Amino acid sequence: MSGKKDREARREERIREDQEAGSAERRQRLIKLASAMAFLALAAVAVLIVISQSQSSGGDASSIADTAEVKQDLSGIPQSGMVLGESSAKVTLFEFGDLQCPVCKGFSEEILPQVIENQVRSGEAKIDFRNFTIIGPQSTPAGAAAIAAGEQGRGWNYVELFYRNQGTEDSGYATDKFLTAIAKGAGVPNIARWNSDRKSKRVLAEVEATTAEAERLGFTGTPSFAVEGPGTTGKQTLGTPGSSDTLESAISSAG
Amino acid sequence: MRAPAEGTLRGVATFLASFGIGVAVYIAIADSGGGSPVCVAGGHGCQTVAESAYSHLLGVNVAAFGIVGYVSLLACALLRGDGARMAGFAFALIGFGFSLYLTYLELFTINAICQWCVASAVLMTLLFITNSIRMLAYVGKAR
Repeated sequence: MSGKKDREARREERIREDQEAGSAERRQRLIKLASAMAFLALAAVAVLIVISQSQSSGGDASSIADTAEVKQDLSGIPQSGMVLGESSAKVTLFEFGDLQCPVCKGFSEEILPQVIENQVRSGEAKIDFRNFTIIGPQSTPAGAAAIAAGEQGRGWNYVELFYRNQGTEDSGYATDKFLTAIAKGAGVPNIARWNSDRKSKRVLAEVEATTAEAERLGFTGTPSFAVEGPGTTGKQTLGTPGSSDTLESAISSAG
Repeated sequence: MRAPAEGTLRGVATFLASFGIGVAVYIAIADSGGGSPVCVAGGHGCQTVAESAYSHLLGVNVAAFGIVGYVSLLACALLRGDGARMAGFAFALIGFGFSLYLTYLELFTINAICQWCVASAVLMTLLFITNSIRMLAYVGKAR
């Protein structure tokens, strides 16, 4: 009897050892599989990063686009400094923008054209572009470049052309080369003068002053708008209106 | 050092993933309304990050990818077995790796910090740690 019991006990132990060995083997196999999955997961991350990086477009100094379109859109409308429109227009729409801001680009292409055609071209209103540099370090030299272009009557051409060729936000594309390419595309007559003006303390101080003004008005994002006319008391802030119609009715009310 | 009980790890992962879903849904809703998440402590960081070109991937807000990731991680936390242990680890690794990249962009490319994105990155890091311990300590073992 005792021999039979021993045999059974040994047999059970063998089965248990086999099970443990099988379990350890399975665990080893799964850990190896997990390593392969980790490799695939990292590859997936790499693909996501490549897609994210490849989305950057625009900001290419060697191929400035839409110069003719911008010239056409603004033709026949007077410009003085950063103001677009007749100086005698009763209402002034102030746009506080950052040339590196993609939302401002969207406004320039989708919202403002209707206002420019309907109310600026007709002499009812003028638009004063003011720098509100919030995006990054290159926003200030970009804004100064626009002001310097404005001193030669091409401020709005500069702003509009910059937006049309805007690169990925604050990715370092707004180099001197890019700013100069925009100035040439915008038709700035004297590039040497523009180049010294844009670096002058006077112009840089103007960028800082308008940014401070935007903050004083309580704006926190770009573009932000304000309107001033016979129907307002000083600058009436509008924030960031969602449509051309909202801006148009604000201008009409201020007139 | 002994790993915490698997039930504890799954509980922690469930909590973290649920919280992550909340954060990602908030960012996605703020973006779909044409705005940006509001930074609790003020400042322009959230708006700057939300307006940056990096906030979208193939035209889709990265928060939407975050929602998918957190929901997957929640499912893995709720399920038992080796499949859930390994899938949880893989999803957490993808989320952690991409969060590292996004945090790098915030610090060195966009030069702005969005608290909601930081919150998500912290949650992903904790989920990666939790899921790694769960996988390494319990894969191949009985339920």
